[in-house]
Amino acid sequence: MTDYEAVIGLETHIQLNTITKIFCSCKADSWEQEPNTNICPVCTGMPGVLPVLNEVAVKKGVLLAHAMHSEIRNVSYFDRKNYFYPDLPKGYQISQYDMAFGDGGYLDLPMPQGYTRRISITKLHLEEDAGKTKNVGNRRMIDFNRCGVPLVEMVTGPDLRSADEAAQYLIRLRQLLRWLGVSEADMEKGHLRCDANVSIRPVGSDQLFTKTEIKNVNSIDNVRSAIEHEVERQIREVSSGNRIHAWTLDWDDDKKELKKMRSKETEADYRYFREPDLLPLHLSDEWLQETFTDFPELPLNRKKRFIEDYQLPDYDADLLTTERNLSDYFETAVKAYGGDPKKVSNYLMNEILRMLNEGGKTAEQLRLTPIFLAEILKMVDNGKINTSTGKNLLSKVEETGLAPTVIVENEGLGLVSDDSAIRAVVEKVIANSSKEVDAYRAGKETLIGWFTGQVMREMRGKADPKLAQEILKELLKR
Amino acid sequence: MELCDHSGYELSFFLREKKISAQEIVESCLARVANVDGRPGSVDSGEMTLDDTQKVHSFISITAEMARDQAKKIDQKLANGENVGSLAGIPFTTKDIFCVKDTYSTAASRIIANFKAPYTATPVARMLEQDAIMIGKVNLDEFTFGSSNESSAFQPSTRNPWDTTRVPGGSSGGSAASVSAAEATLSLGTDTAGSIRQPAAFCGVVGVKPTYGRVSRYGLIAFASSLDCPGPLARNVTDAAMMLQAIAGADRHDSTAANVAVPDYVGFLDQGVKGLRIGLSPDYFQIVYMDAVSGEMIRHPVSDEIKATVYHAAEVLKEMGAEIIEDVPLPNMRYGIPAFFVISRVEAASNLHRFDGVKYGYRTPQTLSDLNEMYRKTRNEGFGLQPKLRILMGMYVSAAQYSEQYYNRALKVRAMIRHDFDQVFDQKGKYRLNAILTPTTPSTAFPMGDVYGDTVLMQYADQFTVPANHAGIPGISLPGGIAADGLPLGIQLLGSDFSEADLFRIGRAFEEGTQTEAWRSLKPQVLRAGV
Repeated sequence: MTDYEAVIGLETHIQLNTITKIFCSCKADSWEQEPNTNICPVCTGMPGVLPVLNEVAVKKGVLLAHAMHSEIRNVSYFDRKNYFYPDLPKGYQISQYDMAFGDGGYLDLPMPQGYTRRISITKLHLEEDAGKTKNVGNRRMIDFNRCGVPLVEMVTGPDLRSADEAAQYLIRLRQLLRWLGVSEADMEKGHLRCDANVSIRPVGSDQLFTKTEIKNVNSIDNVRSAIEHEVERQIREVSSGNRIHAWTLDWDDDKKELKKMRSKETEADYRYFREPDLLPLHLSDEWLQETFTDFPELPLNRKKRFIEDYQLPDYDADLLTTERNLSDYFETAVKAYGGDPKKVSNYLMNEILRMLNEGGKTAEQLRLTPIFLAEILKMVDNGKINTSTGKNLLSKVEETGLAPTVIVENEGLGLVSDDSAIRAVVEKVIANSSKEVDAYRAGKETLIGWFTGQVMREMRGKADPKLAQEILKELLKR
Repeated sequence: MELCDHSGYELSFFLREKKISAQEIVESCLARVANVDGRPGSVDSGEMTLDDTQKVHSFISITAEMARDQAKKIDQKLANGENVGSLAGIPFTTKDIFCVKDTYSTAASRIIANFKAPYTATPVARMLEQDAIMIGKVNLDEFTFGSSNESSAFQPSTRNPWDTTRVPGGSSGGSAASVSAAEATLSLGTDTAGSIRQPAAFCGVVGVKPTYGRVSRYGLIAFASSLDCPGPLARNVTDAAMMLQAIAGADRHDSTAANVAVPDYVGFLDQGVKGLRIGLSPDYFQIVYMDAVSGEMIRHPVSDEIKATVYHAAEVLKEMGAEIIEDVPLPNMRYGIPAFFVISRVEAASNLHRFDGVKYGYRTPQTLSDLNEMYRKTRNEGFGLQPKLRILMGMYVSAAQYSEQYYNRALKVRAMIRHDFDQVFDQKGKYRLNAILTPTTPSTAFPMGDVYGDTVLMQYADQFTVPANHAGIPGISLPGGIAADGLPLGIQLLGSDFSEADLFRIGRAFEEGTQTEAWRSLKPQVLRAGV
């Protein structure tokens, strides 16, 4: 039997998180707004209106293109993509066609299995979003709120070989978009949309076979399942001697199955031509240089560096670089602390991540700053407080915003290292535990732990445990 | 002579001197409209009457109440000693291709006959800011697609005030006629291939097509976006200069509106033409077109009368100190019309997509469950012949398999035309021209019905005007004389980018040099006593 491999390309639409729309001054984000309340003559295509390009959208698009190793063209053009649809108010979409601002590019995709797949980018351009159509009974309802929201369309080459790789690509893309701060990248909210082109071929062949296009998938998990379903279907069809048809398929999220939307044997002719209402987009080298001044270290690079510089396990480095804020937090804390980075990592992966999840916050919003965390770690290290006090302090700092040293001072949480104070308690414990004292002196030295516990209890945990044990040993010898 | 017959600068002066009120100006214009205009154009016009054939029909809507309110406010400002704008009290009409808030903005098409604009076009807003008073919105060829006004869905269409059996030209026919008949002092038109200059020539007024991008297109219902230019129509150069001064300049709503400072046009007007180099080109004294059957290029010289008018103008300017350079070659002008045919239709077809019955304007009254059927019916019933022809042609030449052969080729021709002009305006080149002097049109106003229906022939009325649109350069049409048939003849001045100040200057000199000529005292037929 022939073995088949999947050949997958993804077409993504990325909603840029600008304040205003791409060609007018309406708000870009209409989430949960009543239909047709965030519109103006420009985005609803009134007669006579003209688009004016939002420079921030260009900037965000350019940052993304740079991260995807795309060449940025100094001169690019906007074009009209002409087609009729009720939610496309001008009857054409302003997009970029043959001379987009981004040219080529790739993403090196590390797979959990250990190999890396290079995914090429064949298209990267700016365009405006259309509105939304909803069918209510036999009425067609149109919401223009989304018209003119800035999008980057980014299309990969047919380089992905499995549903897993496709999912991994989206995970890394989403991470990158948030890292760069160019998109909220929330698939459920449509900030990141994905269509998948799927075909199969016998392993070893380098031909491209008839593909189908899967649309309307609104989560990474669903992209994975939809592609898995479709690859299986195609293998089934081909194995039983049937032909694959160039269908457009719709993912039904409730039934978890694909439905045929339409046959797409011929390409539509959008009669592209240069948008005469916009000037060519000139991006000078100076402008680009300025735009890239604060270009961040990218997540995969940073992960690699964390492993090299801080000897973190792969797992830790990956988790800590999920978000840029978190990784910045980690690195600031490590530097301020000066001790073992793995210790910082442990705090972050456990207590701090829990705190973030529960509070719905991002790392830079914490009142428990990385400097404060480092202070707490240092206090534990040099015996000023014990580990459990240290952990309790995390939430106290977060609640009050006070420096950990101040809280320790105010609440008397510091360990007692005063010899005479501990000595007094030890004497009291020994006096009250004649049975245990006898047993210890008879050779049951493991009881030292029990004695220490007693002392700690008497002192409500504030005794320096090392000192307490030393004094115990000294007095028990007598 | 009524108040409305005065020039804009006179009216403005009288008003500031408090010799007249803005309200008097408005009433004078409205009285003139009542006298000469007849019924306004409408989509359900019924039978034409004999009276209809003797009126001008410039208007689609007369905004009398708005005008009166505005006049009252201006009078109030003046009474309070407040400052008023540079066009204070000067009445104007707006070609009904511009959106003006709360007025019907119809494009002379059934498909948006009921469309009330929710915003005001930038050039109109700038007129109003300078306290010019809008009298109403005037007729045009449907969506500006024509050179005679006859294609308007709003009938009766505009007639030429010099002879109401003739067309006023187009597409800014209502603009030219309303200014010519002194229903208003100024009009805001648009010029895509000659739509300001050609009707200005036919109606004996001044028409200015500014440099592309000199005046914002925001609010202009687009025909061919890369060619469309809003501009003034006026009865004299000074008024046109004052108006351009008010409407020109960058606009945050139009990124193609040039960020180039607006010179003091009026201030430059009287500097004369001494030392200016003005060219005459043989390519502007013939029309060249392809024979539809044989495919041969046919050359057809313009009439001696037209040629003589232009040469006379050259003579006048020479006497005033200009240097006249003959035999300037502009070999690619002959391809202006075919290239325009392609480029304008591709853009027009796309620009007309939005009229789909979904959001505003006309929708077929039939209830249809099929969306495409709704589109087809709506557009079939809503668009007139001209938009349909342009959509068909535009769709055809922009289709993937043809766009190289037609659209991209036309763009190359366009670049060649631009190159021709660059050569002759190059101040280090062989010709070093400041302007080119040409006839505006190959004929005087033609009789109504004569050309309409022959879209190709109609287009050739624009042969001398369209090259400026391709090149983006400014052009101005001036009354140059009266032909033997009693109709006005226009002469055209073309200049390099943003050289409007020079063109006004030459135009003003020509006015001075010819002010005593007999034809200057002739008036349009509808204004002659006893008519």
